[in-house]
Amino acid sequence: MTGPRFWKTLGTRRDSFGEFPPGAQEPPPPPGEADPSRRRFLALTGASAALAAGVACAPSSDGGLVVPYAKKPEEVVPGVANYYASAFQEGEAVHGVLVKTREGRPIHVEGNDAWPLAPGAAHFRATADLLGLYDPDRVRAPQVEGRQAAWPQALDRLAAALREARASGKPVLLMTPALLSPARRALLGDLQRALPTLRVAPWEPAADHAGRAARKALYGGALAVRPRFDRAKVILALEADFLGALPGAPEAIAGFAQGRRPAGPGGAMSRLYAAEGVMTLTGSKADLRFPVRPSSLAALGFALAKALAARGAVLPAGFDPAALAPFDLAAWAAAQKVAPASLDHLVADLAAAGREGLVLAGPSLPPEAHAAAALLNGLLGAEGCTLDLSASPAAELISPAEMEELRVQAASGAFAAALFWEANPLHASPDPQGWAKALARVPMCARLGLHRDETAAACGLLLPIHHWLESWNDFDPREGLLALQQPAVGPLHDTRQAEEVLLTLLRALGGDAPADYHAYLQARWRREVYPAGSPVSFEGFWNACLHDGVLAHEAAPAAARALDGEAVSAFARSAAASAPSGHELLLYADAKTWDGRYANNGWLQELPDPVTKNTWGNPVSLSPGDARRLGLSDGDVVRVDLAGETLLAPALVQPGQAEGVLGLALGYGRSAGSVASGVGLNGWPLAGARGLLRLGAALVGTGERAPLARTQEHHDLLGRDIVRLWTLAEYAEKAEGAAKETFPTLYPPQEFPDHKWGMAIDLSACVGCSGCVVACQSENNVPVVGPEQVRRGREMHWIRVDRYYEGPAEAPRTVHQPMVCQQCDDAPCENVCPVQATNHSPDGLNQMAYNRCVGTRYCANNCPYKVRRFNFFDFTSALPEPLDLAFNPEVTVRPRGVMEKCTFCIQRIQNARQTAKGEGRSVRDGEIVPACAAACPARAIVFGDLKDPRSAVSKLSRSDRGFKVLAELGVKPSVTYLADLRNPSDGGKV
Amino acid sequence: MHPHDRVARIVLPVGAAAVLTTVLIVGWVTQPDRFVVGYAPLQPIPFSHRLHAGDNKIPCLYCHTGAQRSRHAGVPALQTCMNCHAVTRMDRPAIQKLTALYKEGRPVEWRRVYLLPDHVYFDHRPHVNDGIACQTCHGEVQTMERVSRAMSLRMGNCLRCHRDPSAALPTGSKVVRGAENCYACHR
Repeated sequence: MTGPRFWKTLGTRRDSFGEFPPGAQEPPPPPGEADPSRRRFLALTGASAALAAGVACAPSSDGGLVVPYAKKPEEVVPGVANYYASAFQEGEAVHGVLVKTREGRPIHVEGNDAWPLAPGAAHFRATADLLGLYDPDRVRAPQVEGRQAAWPQALDRLAAALREARASGKPVLLMTPALLSPARRALLGDLQRALPTLRVAPWEPAADHAGRAARKALYGGALAVRPRFDRAKVILALEADFLGALPGAPEAIAGFAQGRRPAGPGGAMSRLYAAEGVMTLTGSKADLRFPVRPSSLAALGFALAKALAARGAVLPAGFDPAALAPFDLAAWAAAQKVAPASLDHLVADLAAAGREGLVLAGPSLPPEAHAAAALLNGLLGAEGCTLDLSASPAAELISPAEMEELRVQAASGAFAAALFWEANPLHASPDPQGWAKALARVPMCARLGLHRDETAAACGLLLPIHHWLESWNDFDPREGLLALQQPAVGPLHDTRQAEEVLLTLLRALGGDAPADYHAYLQARWRREVYPAGSPVSFEGFWNACLHDGVLAHEAAPAAARALDGEAVSAFARSAAASAPSGHELLLYADAKTWDGRYANNGWLQELPDPVTKNTWGNPVSLSPGDARRLGLSDGDVVRVDLAGETLLAPALVQPGQAEGVLGLALGYGRSAGSVASGVGLNGWPLAGARGLLRLGAALVGTGERAPLARTQEHHDLLGRDIVRLWTLAEYAEKAEGAAKETFPTLYPPQEFPDHKWGMAIDLSACVGCSGCVVACQSENNVPVVGPEQVRRGREMHWIRVDRYYEGPAEAPRTVHQPMVCQQCDDAPCENVCPVQATNHSPDGLNQMAYNRCVGTRYCANNCPYKVRRFNFFDFTSALPEPLDLAFNPEVTVRPRGVMEKCTFCIQRIQNARQTAKGEGRSVRDGEIVPACAAACPARAIVFGDLKDPRSAVSKLSRSDRGFKVLAELGVKPSVTYLADLRNPSDGGKV
Repeated sequence: MHPHDRVARIVLPVGAAAVLTTVLIVGWVTQPDRFVVGYAPLQPIPFSHRLHAGDNKIPCLYCHTGAQRSRHAGVPALQTCMNCHAVTRMDRPAIQKLTALYKEGRPVEWRRVYLLPDHVYFDHRPHVNDGIACQTCHGEVQTMERVSRAMSLRMGNCLRCHRDPSAALPTGSKVVRGAENCYACHR
């Protein structure tokens, strides 16, 4: 074995414990009884025979019923899917999506190819939120004081309270999500005119509040910023996880991946520097990563600015050069234990990239770091190239400080009524407890939401609203871009769209409004969007927009923005004054549950975190050095003391995390929801209004244990050639002959008469975001098994993203590798199946017939890739209604005792084949797209016919970066991986 | 007789016969309904395929429109019935029942004649588009007053035809064999 040695966990890195964990080769210990042998065996045999007889004698049913439509909707053909373009809003981001429906019910959400920001790439949280539509916990009818009520009754109460408030002149609070919809804004404007005391407070806890505060000071207004990763040559990410947790991830990944596919050895490739405290997904893809204290990042930014200014970059007008005096790169490098040479490379790279350089600061950092990033971008001239500053201001949001003011106001009894629309301040706000107390002083509290959540529990009036898949809306996420949201299904319960509730209130307050929001929306579009004098009728225009889901028009070019030099100087002085001490606790919105709104989603809870591979919870991550010093290991409960507040959480030792830094994901610790409650702990109160970086934390172990539910913690690699990570320089050396290894075989060669399906996965483009996992789970009816089963290694995902480290635990290199069934030509699983339940198809697929499987699990034992999953329990038949509606009717729902695995989305292959056959042609290249490939924002997964030498997958399979995982076994996998590439600054080592 | 001889001569064969009989009886009684040929459930409306498809020669695809473009041939919506019965035979009680249901927007709940298990994904499209007559599997429906199951839905019946489809295919068809791999029908 030559080359780098990869490792998965700190345990296997430290004391390589052999191929199997200790004890795996010994027989299991005998059961507790004194005489376990014959008696027990007979008893068990008898019991199983009785059980089998019971199952066999279950009453055989007759054929059941066929119930056709009375009046069939024109567009529905039973058995044929319909797609609707729609849009999904989450905080300040909007994603264009396609909703796949069968017989009128949504079953899958994918990206919309017409979406200009990230064509065909939806955020995986949009895909996963399909489960939110069918969530059994949704409130199904209005409730007044905990009792079910009719809509008119509930709304009359609310309207009466609002009329009273108007008469008395007392303010009314309406907390909303970010107002990215022009029609929604217009409606709130109308409502405000009818009720002048209405205070609209758009609250998004996970928004980039620090960045907004900085931009407000620097540019005189909170601008919407759009980084253009597709144009960037050198990127510096300061604790900015743009590939992971940040809401614009699909667009960022799509753009970033463009710069990560060099045409060949010596081709152009972007370079990513990351300086961060916790290990983020972005850091794991970095060409050079500095694990440093996040509190020092503002200083790094200003020191870099000083170095760039010394190289001749022009500082903004009004900037006081003396403000940069305290910053020095060499001193910073010494304090943070970073090699000074790599910082010199960074400065040289940024200076050389000029306007093609890009510096980003993450939302967890204080405004000073954002100011430093803005200054650096100004020095590089990035604006207009890698950074689009929109002409229009960012959506209005209230800051955490303003949120606190509102709470104090509410607690003083100032509000006559408070309406909470989606925003959930009793979980995600600077002071959830305080809000609970404050709401007791508000005479009328109403909740417009989907669930009976924390805030709903404190509100007398619960008005259940539509899910976004049941709603109409429009969005303007960017200048010159309008998106339409349309319902893909009728309301499942007795709910109303939130805007419709507001329209009813508007009418009750004497305003003039149409009966439903659809009419309101259409009227606004007819007035404001429909081009006057168009030869197309409005109906035609509207239907075309609905069909595309998006309307892009020429945006007015943004005027160049000048940085306020004095404001930057002030930020620099304040950054110089900060003196960190103790541990630093970095809080960040979780990539899965985000601010906590998806915590009730089993798919997202069970999705392994892209870096830590942790599921079901938010442990405190700490560095290997700190863990060693304090004698802590994974799953030890630690106590974090933080200026009077304490936090008890299991620890997770994260390779690559900076010493002295603790990380905690926000978005857990919900106290409502059958899936969400009791999972993890709530970090929002720790953030408070002070920002997401807390200094001066103390960490001690408690001696208690709380085992984590992590995946990919089993078995050792033993130095096997599973992943390849090359630098650009190594690429030139190794490319020659990489994919030409051949191995002897005893098997006769296989014939594939028509097709031979195959896949190519580009590890350099893949960032490990795990969107493919969610898409596969939705497409293939993959069950959720819960933390207990995950701890036993029984998670069911058909595709997993393996994460491998290489190098020292303090600063490892990381590779992400999506692992699917390799559909081996000489598949080892097939030979060992005693009942021929798994065998080979003539188009090269390793097929799995569930109805034949008897559950011996020999195949899983014999699979070198460990991609086979066994149904140890019945995970599907007892699902609460209406969760069963989320199933894809084209894929069998597997029962207990059956093995399952990736099928390359055989249902999509068969459908495309039959469609092609019906049209009298053969399948076109690119016509079949498995769910994982369709969901990949980086387009790292390519599927197609290997028999067609001109197909995209064939070309990629012949790539000089191509390799097969464990090729030496001679099983001939159908999946080709393309080696991950890094572009380090000194050409050689990363 | 040695006691062991009795065991060998009488008890063992009787015991074996008893076990075999039990297995056969249980197997016969519990076999899935879909294997039974001739299953002809009573339908809520006595719709006659003999009258419609036989005497009136209405093509199968007039009602079962999905057969060419979907996996499912489909049972027609009530609307399809009303295309004619809004003007014809309105005096018959069954038609009056149909009309009443249609006016209320309620569907007819037909009894299913052909039912495949959940793990089978039969696709009508390739079969119909290759010119296989509906009667090949469904029998001479145009002669049936009440539809009865003509073919046992065992996998063996699928495979028999897939291995030698010449009898089912129209003359001149280029197809020589149907798919025989698992993923052709199971997913």
